[in-house]
Amino acid sequence: MAVAARSIGEALVTIAGRDRVRDDAGSLDAATVDGLRPRWVVRPVSLDQLSRVVALAYDGGLAVVPRGAGSALELGHPPSRVDIVADLSGLDQMIEYNPDDLTITAQAGMSAGALAALLAPRRQWLPIDPPGIAARTLGGITATNASGPLRARFGGLRDLLLGVRFVQPDGVVTWGGAKVVKSVSGYDVPKLMVGALGTLGVLAELTLRLHPLPDTERSWLVTLERAQAAQEFVARLVDSPLQPSRIELFNDNALKLLRADLAGVGVAVSIGSVADAVREQGERLSTMATAAGAQIVPLPDGFWGRVDSAMAPPPGFTVLHVTSLTGRLADTADALEDIARAAAPGAEVRLSGCASLGTFRVLVGGASDAEMAAVTTRVRAWVGEVGGSAVVARGSVELRRAVDPWGLVDPGAFALMRALRDEFDPKRVLNPGRYVGGL
Amino acid sequence: MPLSGPFLQELERIVGAAGLVCTPEGRLVYECDMHTFYKGAPDVVALPKRADEVVEIVKLCRRERIPIVPRGSGTGLIGGAMAPVGGVMIGTNRMDAILEVDLPNRCATVQPGLINLSLTRAVASQGYFFAPDPSSQMVSSIGGNVATNAGGPHCLKYGITTNHVLGLELVTGAGELVRLGGKGAERPGYDLLGAAVGSEGTFGVVTAVTVRLLHAAEAVKTILASFTAIEDASEAVSAIIATGIVPAALEMLDELMIRAINEGTGAGYPKDAAAVLLIELDGPAAEVEAQGERAARICWERGALEVRVAADVAERALLWKGRKEAAGAVGRLAPTYLLQDAVVPRSKLPAIMRELIAIGARHRVQIANVFHAGDGNLHPLILYDDREPEELERAKAANEELLRACIEMGGTVTGEHGVGLDKAKNLPLQYAEADLNFMYRLRRAFDPYLIMNPGKLLPSHPACGEGFRPARPRVPDGAWI
Repeated sequence: MAVAARSIGEALVTIAGRDRVRDDAGSLDAATVDGLRPRWVVRPVSLDQLSRVVALAYDGGLAVVPRGAGSALELGHPPSRVDIVADLSGLDQMIEYNPDDLTITAQAGMSAGALAALLAPRRQWLPIDPPGIAARTLGGITATNASGPLRARFGGLRDLLLGVRFVQPDGVVTWGGAKVVKSVSGYDVPKLMVGALGTLGVLAELTLRLHPLPDTERSWLVTLERAQAAQEFVARLVDSPLQPSRIELFNDNALKLLRADLAGVGVAVSIGSVADAVREQGERLSTMATAAGAQIVPLPDGFWGRVDSAMAPPPGFTVLHVTSLTGRLADTADALEDIARAAAPGAEVRLSGCASLGTFRVLVGGASDAEMAAVTTRVRAWVGEVGGSAVVARGSVELRRAVDPWGLVDPGAFALMRALRDEFDPKRVLNPGRYVGGL
Repeated sequence: MPLSGPFLQELERIVGAAGLVCTPEGRLVYECDMHTFYKGAPDVVALPKRADEVVEIVKLCRRERIPIVPRGSGTGLIGGAMAPVGGVMIGTNRMDAILEVDLPNRCATVQPGLINLSLTRAVASQGYFFAPDPSSQMVSSIGGNVATNAGGPHCLKYGITTNHVLGLELVTGAGELVRLGGKGAERPGYDLLGAAVGSEGTFGVVTAVTVRLLHAAEAVKTILASFTAIEDASEAVSAIIATGIVPAALEMLDELMIRAINEGTGAGYPKDAAAVLLIELDGPAAEVEAQGERAARICWERGALEVRVAADVAERALLWKGRKEAAGAVGRLAPTYLLQDAVVPRSKLPAIMRELIAIGARHRVQIANVFHAGDGNLHPLILYDDREPEELERAKAANEELLRACIEMGGTVTGEHGVGLDKAKNLPLQYAEADLNFMYRLRRAFDPYLIMNPGKLLPSHPACGEGFRPARPRVPDGAWI
């Protein structure tokens, strides 16, 4: 369909207002996605505006890339087309907060930091902590299924997202899920939206399950000489009566950034509860660590903030998200380091992992794209043996052209994914080409 | 819809003569689930033993466009595992093996017909358990739990079935065997696993389930508090949650239910109690001790008549006794009842209880209540005499009005039983055309021939086949297109 750019721009202005549609070189350059410059950057400030922008794109055969804080733009395949970048930072309002029900509904462009500030006076929180969390938007965290150490206790977004309002690729505003903490009414549409990178709909409003902040939280760092010893310690911890909120594993490189005086494999454990219980569990943790021949030190309050900055990638670093099995924790940690050392000699490898789930976050710095491609392929082959996966969560566009950033998806499951994408977005309006298998 | 001789022969070739139920009296057993209102016997019941047999059955039905109804133990409460338009029922009862227990990875893979409690029994000696505990857990199958995304008293802390399912093997309505999820954390791509749990057999037939196993808690404390007003009990619930305590279970009984139980099993609740709160805490001993004291204090502060703390396992069982026998006890009040499981935001419990009393009065029916107060999940039992057709009509009217009231307060029509045939008609209360349309299309990706459990989970629409058609937003007129 032949479309006159000038008049689409005018239509966008009619929808969103002149000051919220940018087509100047500076704005477009700044909004480039993997080298593709959009034709417009639109910043809707209402759900209605967002839905009409998407509907316009659908009618005009244009591609829309939704953007929150822009933290995850280096995830997935480079898009095949970019016409409109939909900047969702203008949809940042709280819609309904019910502290007594521990639920909140907020627009997807709200940052996690703003949400935390909103909840703090009531001593509540959304227990999600991927590195760099504060600046990220709720929509972005959901669309990319980002998680951090707290996942050990509280699960991921799939366990916290109760309801979702989204704009389908044809512009139709749709709601899935419920605003209460328990519902099995209809299909679990919210789960389908978590990690879907906005390819089934642009996330607009999220209803989230909140948790009360614990009275007290304390953390300890257990250091062991080898990954195998760490795995055994973690297994005993998970099977013990203790209820940690984080059990995060760090390799030597990551550990050194957190505590320069320590070496080896670190397992940081936090426990949040009533004060007496925290003290008592801390003592039991010390006993367990000592019995395992490990060193244990109490950690200051700011420790997890340091983890957040140590595991947020500096410029030039590639991030792999690797899933394995908790029963293969040590094997996997060792393999990740071995593979990186062999395929990218001289690279810096920072490793952290949700030890009780067998998931890893691997930061690699100082490796070329070719080396990184080799690392990715070999890691994938290794974890593939145990049914795991390795996703390039952040990497250069060259790397993501050299290797499939997602990795292979089971063909049967992929056929269903393709069917869904074809059903809901046959014109590939939303994030064309970026998702698994180039969907 | 009588099935042809050749079709039945093919079916017999797949599952063997012993795996087919064809006689009218045999099929009658399968005509309803525990919601005995809805009756519809299948034309034949197939009882496969293996996944490849299920694939063959589905492919056969797909070819002939014969509807399929999957069924586990038939303990559902929603008219889900019955055949309103006949067709083939696939019973999973003969697929009841534990395929693998993998303790290093804290999971197990089982066939769908395995009874829920059998899994916990198989791993209990090593200190593990399977968390979802619907009250049917002694008889309900894990496949059925997955289909309905079942909850239970302890899901307040541990979450419902979906939070414990790591992987599924599913034969889709197209007859394709697919594996969704697996032992590890999520894989790249859409969370089809999350969408499939709770799809009530409309996506396909589950042939294997990988579930999470949890380590049993060190200590358990059960507290029973009784109150003279349901508002006080509701406030205690909110206060307990607000202090940061997440009890394993938080159950409430109302006045009518207390009376029925007292007259029946003699649980010995205080006579003038209008609400009984059952609080169960589990976790590390020191935490349970501290939180137990705090919860008890909160109950006293909200004017509790008495607060009892179980000192041992026997006393715990006694405190739970009344709760567990609640459904049976109402038999003393009326011959039968309608049960539903709508949810309201927890803070709306006092308001919905007032509304519920008004609704009962308007329709001249008694409503006894036992509910999962911690998550606002009601379980009103609307009592009626099934020998009086007019009473049934009043009970139904009260039921519908109550559902509407729950939705108006921001709730949902079902918290843990599911939709089935029973509540399909109620979904439009909660969802707009666009939302239902999205769900229709989602279903079609898994079941392109619309043969899987027809009539369940989604309402039928006058413009049959296409589902609901939402209006699209307006875009500016002009020369841009």
